[in-house]
Amino acid sequence: MNKQTKIILFLCNWGPHAAYLSLQDEKQNIPEAVHMVRIPCTGRVDRALLLRAFAKGADGVAMIGCSPGTCRYGSGTPTAIRNTQDTGTILDLMGIGQERLRFATFLPEQSEELLEFLQTFLHDIQKLGPTAITTLPDNPLPANPLNLPREEVSALVNTYDIHACQDCGKCSSACPLALVGKPFSARGIATAVINNELYKTNVQENVWSCLTCGLCYERCPSAVNFPAFIKELRYLYQKNTIQGNEAHGGFLHSLMRSMASPDLTPNRYQNIPEKLKIDPDSNILFYGGCAPYFDIFFSKHIDVNTEKILFDSIRLLNFFDVHPRLLGDERCCGHDLLWSGEQRHFKEVARLNVERLNSLGIETMITTCPECYMTFKTTYPDMGFQLNFEVVHLYDFLEKEIDRGAVEFTSFDKAVTFQDSCRLCRLEDRQELPRQLLARLQPNTFTEMRESGKGSMCCGNTAWTGCDSYSKAMQVKRLQQAKETGAELLITSCPKCQIHLQCAMQDPFREEELQIEMLDLTSVIAQTITWK
Amino acid sequence: MQKEIIVTGFGGQGIILAGRILGTAASLGDNKESTLVQAYGPESRGGACNAQVIISDTPIHYPYVKIPHILVAMSQAGYDKFSGLLQEDSILLTDQDLVPTTNAPCAHYEIAATRMAESLGHKMMANIIMIGFFTAITEAVSKNAALETVNRSVPKGTEEKNQKAFNKGFDYGLSTLKGKEKRAAGMTGAIAQ
Repeated sequence: MNKQTKIILFLCNWGPHAAYLSLQDEKQNIPEAVHMVRIPCTGRVDRALLLRAFAKGADGVAMIGCSPGTCRYGSGTPTAIRNTQDTGTILDLMGIGQERLRFATFLPEQSEELLEFLQTFLHDIQKLGPTAITTLPDNPLPANPLNLPREEVSALVNTYDIHACQDCGKCSSACPLALVGKPFSARGIATAVINNELYKTNVQENVWSCLTCGLCYERCPSAVNFPAFIKELRYLYQKNTIQGNEAHGGFLHSLMRSMASPDLTPNRYQNIPEKLKIDPDSNILFYGGCAPYFDIFFSKHIDVNTEKILFDSIRLLNFFDVHPRLLGDERCCGHDLLWSGEQRHFKEVARLNVERLNSLGIETMITTCPECYMTFKTTYPDMGFQLNFEVVHLYDFLEKEIDRGAVEFTSFDKAVTFQDSCRLCRLEDRQELPRQLLARLQPNTFTEMRESGKGSMCCGNTAWTGCDSYSKAMQVKRLQQAKETGAELLITSCPKCQIHLQCAMQDPFREEELQIEMLDLTSVIAQTITWK
Repeated sequence: MQKEIIVTGFGGQGIILAGRILGTAASLGDNKESTLVQAYGPESRGGACNAQVIISDTPIHYPYVKIPHILVAMSQAGYDKFSGLLQEDSILLTDQDLVPTTNAPCAHYEIAATRMAESLGHKMMANIIMIGFFTAITEAVSKNAALETVNRSVPKGTEEKNQKAFNKGFDYGLSTLKGKEKRAAGMTGAIAQ
């Protein structure tokens, strides 16, 4: 037996655990590779836990519950089946393979069957070999977590010129989080850094809940680059094992951290609509980003289809006779890792990306995700990762092509408004870019929201970190602003804005008040563009 | 192969210059034969002015255009005056804002040259945009030859702007041809119908 093989067995307390006990009582040969975790109900093992098991080095995960109808809590089994399926689909996309995650049910008396199952599963996993996921070693525990290394803190203060803060409060009066009532203060964090009070829990909470949306930087008279400062501060926290509050049980973080494994070969773009034209030899690469993972994960709660944005992008490229290359083993860009303090993992991901992408011999990479765009275009070079091709936002490509002329847009009978992406409009300073395209569209009316362009409000969360009731309050406020314009269609430019705003629309007490149709700008263009 | 071209429009639009650039491009740039007959008299001072250009691989014996293969119209009056000469296999190019009413028996391509020139900052460059458009659509002169001649024919210091105008018209011409092809293939939009 391969001693390296590790199987995590989530075993329900009620039915199958009795069968497992019998095996132990009878001194049956339960494979050593199986590490059993006794749980109250398989329905409560969420997808984040399943994925985390793999991210932490498991080669196979088995969820064993009760047969449908025998669940003590009624809904445990169907929930567990759904969770296993979702996670399996994502494992497929990641190139790990859903066969490594198995759900089965056993009655208390079925100990022999359980044993057989475990042996077969182990055999199958051994045949597959270890997963391609490797884990970076944990940060060493600091001697005293309450006392952050002073020299590193002062280096931060110097780099970002925190002493320039005049304590004027313009940041607080602009900060969307503070404006919805959260006890949050950007200059408070600045003061805490200077006074070496970073260990205080309220300061930590603030650092982890910052949206890094850049509005305070926009307003700061001393130009303190707050988003970049928070990014570094989070890294400093991580190094000292001060963890942030990862949203969604850390599912997306486990996913992204796994992307730092050199041997991982994701298996993307298996479901491209047939009519899309792809050319594996093209010197133009289309980089999709994480939308398909999001869709699978969030479909449990909301009706999102952000993968459509990728397909519509390819449709638009095809419209202008560009048949792009796609990367089946496309990793994530690492944006969310970097912005949640995981700089070590980010650097690994970036290194792997640069290695792979630079080897392709492409001239241009086109992406429609504002985060991928910013990360590849600006962050990589800033951190010393040089790319040997040009990174272009799809909007830039479209604007250039449409400007050549002979295309027009069919009119549609809807009042529209626009939600800016913080990365594109503020951090990359390209607020004019989507607006040039919006001006070409032929809607009924186009009205900007009360806060728009450089002053626009964030969708409520960045980097899947620190989502709380204040995030929700922000989203509600933003949707109300959108409704205020009389718009029937809210055009977005980032898949995450769609996910976050859609989430707030689920509020059962505000149903009608917040409902509004949402479409990405890319999709709106794809639907209405025609040759003259 | 002989191509007979009439460029027509208001006096002052640069019609004669456009004709001269086309002829020069063909002869000096593409090493072909070319002639230019330009309108004198009241037309060239505000009326329906015209330039007649012939481009040929062999020596040209008679410089006047009898039946135009290509008619470039930048005014309604000019169009009305010459449209009767158009044949089924002729090509008509017009400024769509200045020639609103057309009824041509042949292929017809439109461009808002004057409006584009205005958005580039100089109404005067409409003729250069039209030359770019002409070059892309008809291929009667090569792009390089046309662009070089434009550079040599415009006032010093305005070369860059005129190049931009030329390219604007040229790109629009290419897009128009592509759009036409796509429409013919039934692919009008980005999402398959």
